[in-house]
Amino acid sequence: MTDADDRLKALFAMDEPPARDPAFSASVMADIARRRFLMDVAMLSGVSILGALVLWAAWPALAPLLSTLGRGLSPVMASLTLAATAVILLEGRVTSATALKHD
Amino acid sequence: MTPGGLDEALVEAAQAGSTSAFARLVERHQQPLRAFLRRTCGDWAMADDLAQETFLTAWSRIDLLEAGASVRPWLCGIAYNKHLSALRSAGRERSRERDWEAGKSPSSGAMSDERLTLETAMAGLPPDQRACVALCLAADFSHAEAAQALGLPLGTVKSHVTRGRARLLQVLGGSDDGR
Repeated sequence: MTDADDRLKALFAMDEPPARDPAFSASVMADIARRRFLMDVAMLSGVSILGALVLWAAWPALAPLLSTLGRGLSPVMASLTLAATAVILLEGRVTSATALKHD
Repeated sequence: MTPGGLDEALVEAAQAGSTSAFARLVERHQQPLRAFLRRTCGDWAMADDLAQETFLTAWSRIDLLEAGASVRPWLCGIAYNKHLSALRSAGRERSRERDWEAGKSPSSGAMSDERLTLETAMAGLPPDQRACVALCLAADFSHAEAAQALGLPLGTVKSHVTRGRARLLQVLGGSDDGR
């Protein structure tokens, strides 16, 4: 390296940004988060629209099937719902009782 | 861990989806990238905008970076293409020229005469030559690294650096005592 190169390098070094610039880095990462959010929204919108289209196209075939299934499954579903409700309520009571005992 | 090894680990983590690893890469490379763009554009505000766009593009293309590839030349390559696109945009070009003519660069206020002369001389170089000078004379890139980053043939980079250096030294009033 020659003196002329050193001189050029020293002059160029005057426009170096700081080695650490939290404001710049934060701004870049905020832009990336925004871009990521927009990509997620676009992907979810696309999937939703696609799903809606598939459902709309398949509805004539699905409707009778779901109706039959619904009629057959409704007593089972009703029993399951009742059982789940009872479990949740009883569990709440048991938990409260245990908590009172400990107090 | 060597700087190259750390970069490699960070790239690998970023490729696996780690945002914090990419944030570390931004921290590590923002200074040389912004310095390169400042020297290439002349306009510091535009350089920082382009650096930000460069990191956004790098984030979306991080999967394309091969294992073991250097991050800095890759970023400088993206930045250089962004700079060329910005130059092609007529509005930005006009405003850049206005800034040069009016001497309203944000850096101008605090500059020595010699530094201002260098910046004016840099602005007078063709964009390719300016980028080669910014990488090889200011940022210690080898000719091969600069050629890879800018997508130019090695011979072209060498001749750009030689001519650019001679031009800058001529304007600064120095002697071309080296190469």
